[in-house]
Amino acid sequence: MTLAIYFAITFGAAGLSLIGRISERLAIAIGLVGLGAASLAAIGIDPNEALRIGGGGLAASAYVRLFLILGTVVGTILALVGLAAGSRRDLPAVTLGTMGAAGLALVLPDARIAVIAATASGLLGVLLTIVPTNGRAGATVGIRVARALVVAGAMAIAATAWIGRDLSELAAQPVVFGLAYLAFALAVAVRFGAIPFHVWAARLTDSVPEAALPIVTAWGPATFAVVALAWTDASIAPLLVEMDAERALILAIAIASIALAAFAAWIQDDLEHIVGYSIIGDAGFVLLAVAALDPDAWAPARTWILAYAVARSAFAAWAAAMRATYFTGRLSDLRGWALRSPVLAVAFVIIAVASIGVPGLAAFDARSDLIQLSLGGPIQGLVLLLAFAPLLYYGRILVIGLRRPDPATTTDGGMAGGPSLSPIDMTDLRGSLGRLWNANRPASAVLGACAIAVLALVVTAGGFGGPAAAAGLAPGLEGPTESFIPGPGDSVDGGSPPASALPGEGSGGPSFAPVPTT
Amino acid sequence: MNPALAGVALAILIGAIVAASSRDARIATLGMAVVAVGSPILADPIASPLGLAARIVAALLATYLLWIAVRDGGAPTGGSRIGWAAEASVAAAAAIVGYGTHGLGVAGSGPALGQAVGFALAALAMAPLVTGRDTIRIGMGLLLLTHGSLLVRVALGGTPSPLEELVTAGFIAGLGGVVAVLSTAARWDGSDGGFALAAPGGPDRTTHAPPRPDRRRPRPAAESLPLWTGDAFPTSDASSSNDPFPVDEP
Repeated sequence: MTLAIYFAITFGAAGLSLIGRISERLAIAIGLVGLGAASLAAIGIDPNEALRIGGGGLAASAYVRLFLILGTVVGTILALVGLAAGSRRDLPAVTLGTMGAAGLALVLPDARIAVIAATASGLLGVLLTIVPTNGRAGATVGIRVARALVVAGAMAIAATAWIGRDLSELAAQPVVFGLAYLAFALAVAVRFGAIPFHVWAARLTDSVPEAALPIVTAWGPATFAVVALAWTDASIAPLLVEMDAERALILAIAIASIALAAFAAWIQDDLEHIVGYSIIGDAGFVLLAVAALDPDAWAPARTWILAYAVARSAFAAWAAAMRATYFTGRLSDLRGWALRSPVLAVAFVIIAVASIGVPGLAAFDARSDLIQLSLGGPIQGLVLLLAFAPLLYYGRILVIGLRRPDPATTTDGGMAGGPSLSPIDMTDLRGSLGRLWNANRPASAVLGACAIAVLALVVTAGGFGGPAAAAGLAPGLEGPTESFIPGPGDSVDGGSPPASALPGEGSGGPSFAPVPTT
Repeated sequence: MNPALAGVALAILIGAIVAASSRDARIATLGMAVVAVGSPILADPIASPLGLAARIVAALLATYLLWIAVRDGGAPTGGSRIGWAAEASVAAAAAIVGYGTHGLGVAGSGPALGQAVGFALAALAMAPLVTGRDTIRIGMGLLLLTHGSLLVRVALGGTPSPLEELVTAGFIAGLGGVVAVLSTAARWDGSDGGFALAAPGGPDRTTHAPPRPDRRRPRPAAESLPLWTGDAFPTSDASSSNDPFPVDEP
């Protein structure tokens, strides 16, 4: 029942907001109220709930609940920041629809259905590319985003159908598993806009305001990645099949994304492009998790996905607040920003710490685990170093912020982004409140950015029970589905199946039958 | 081979070839309607009534949304550059490969015809997706690829459950709506370029790009176009108060 309430609110409010979009205020009001209600509904989700519907079912878990709570709360704050900094009227509706479809994808135990819902979760985001005054340019970006979504979705649909049945009933050539795994892993890469599939994501930053960017490029793909990890854990990781070539390709894409996206962000001059490439760079670590093919990667991967989505949302909100405060996103015009806006500077440092992390924080440890589980030898050390590559662009932004402000652009010579109190005229209350809101748009955006920054730091540190929820088993209609937990003496190098691997035998052993490959 | 399924498969193939090759966006949309309605029927056993109804309603909704965008007939789509006969040959070759490799190394749980048609649709989708230069043509590619992958899914994994059909229906309707909205945005942005994509080099350049000439069909004068009522972009959006990036000058 709690899941039904969540879906009714998210999809219902998204539909109403889109229907009411002829009136901008009505659409935004419905969307914001819906987002608030969706946050409450997400908090109320029973992690043990399971529903049987139409030959399938829905099953919640603690991780799903936390993912949806964070997604809706961050989405609400991003919508408010967008309202203050300038965004699309459809952002609240798109956030609602995306989080509704994301919830559906996460509670579907059958990966064949979940990938369809995860693909659909990105569709609404395409609407954000449309602008009233230059529809063709927006449509051009939008159709390319839709193309990436559908191509990724088609690959995932085919992969999950290929080996989507009970593994004990499936006997196939090893190449089948390799190709299916490769198709789904590449689908995740395309969906995140990982390098070299990043062109659509880069163009998207030209068209979508900063506050809306994480909904399209972080939260939607994160849902897709969680589904991919569940499928990989259930269908690929148990196999005694060599997949070195496939893994090498995915690892190459992951490392290229981590390194080149950080470099691209470093050389960009626009905050929105820096945000876009930073999202792509962090997504490289999600690809490492997909490439790990190790059950030990399950918990750190899901921990990292949560931290990554919230931290990148915080960075996007900060960029939006910068634009609202200084009316530009060009770094060359932002000299002295940190001196003029200490609150934004503090938020920036918090975001940098949350996204890069320090040893002891849950997200940092999770990322280190992913690197160690997926890579070996000297390349492991190199990628560990690359994890600190964001320091390049964070440092550049901060150095520019600490320079002496440009006198030509500093008209007031004082602080920026602070609250502004204007007198309230009781005979014109509505007008007074409107003027107060307009005068405090930058301050509101800064406040929202600070709120998400603190949230990101808490999630990165392992707050809200994130690591425990991430370590939980995948949801199933008969209770949580056992993940692959190798027993003592299990072979992963093509040897004969260990006795403890037989289904139903022993406690704590794997719940699958290793597949006889021919 | 079930003759009824073979008939459905043939109808889907013909619809797909029309959708991929026609330069009249309305005819291409009708071809896509045949594909979208026929796709859920190509299963053995056939889907449950609830799931089937949901898929057909979604197919009709997606088609209608596309129809709203193209019904005035004032702007063509790219169509096939190699002609419908060549497209049919591509589809036939892909269908033979799909039929002959039913299961793809695994025992398929659905009809071999589903995989044959799925492969054909995916092959037909490639050219629009890679070389398409207008939203309708790329949109046709997206829909063909989606239906193709869903048919391959049926051939490999068997008839979907009603829940899966419901989720798929939502996805199909949403995809049709997205293509329709994007096409409408491109069509009515005032630069008279039909459904064509913006010139390469970034969104800002498009405002200065000359409109693409339509050499195939004379375009009616703007004032003779029917009043469009699919109100995704009301004129009030153009007012300064609805500026998507409101900037209060300091």
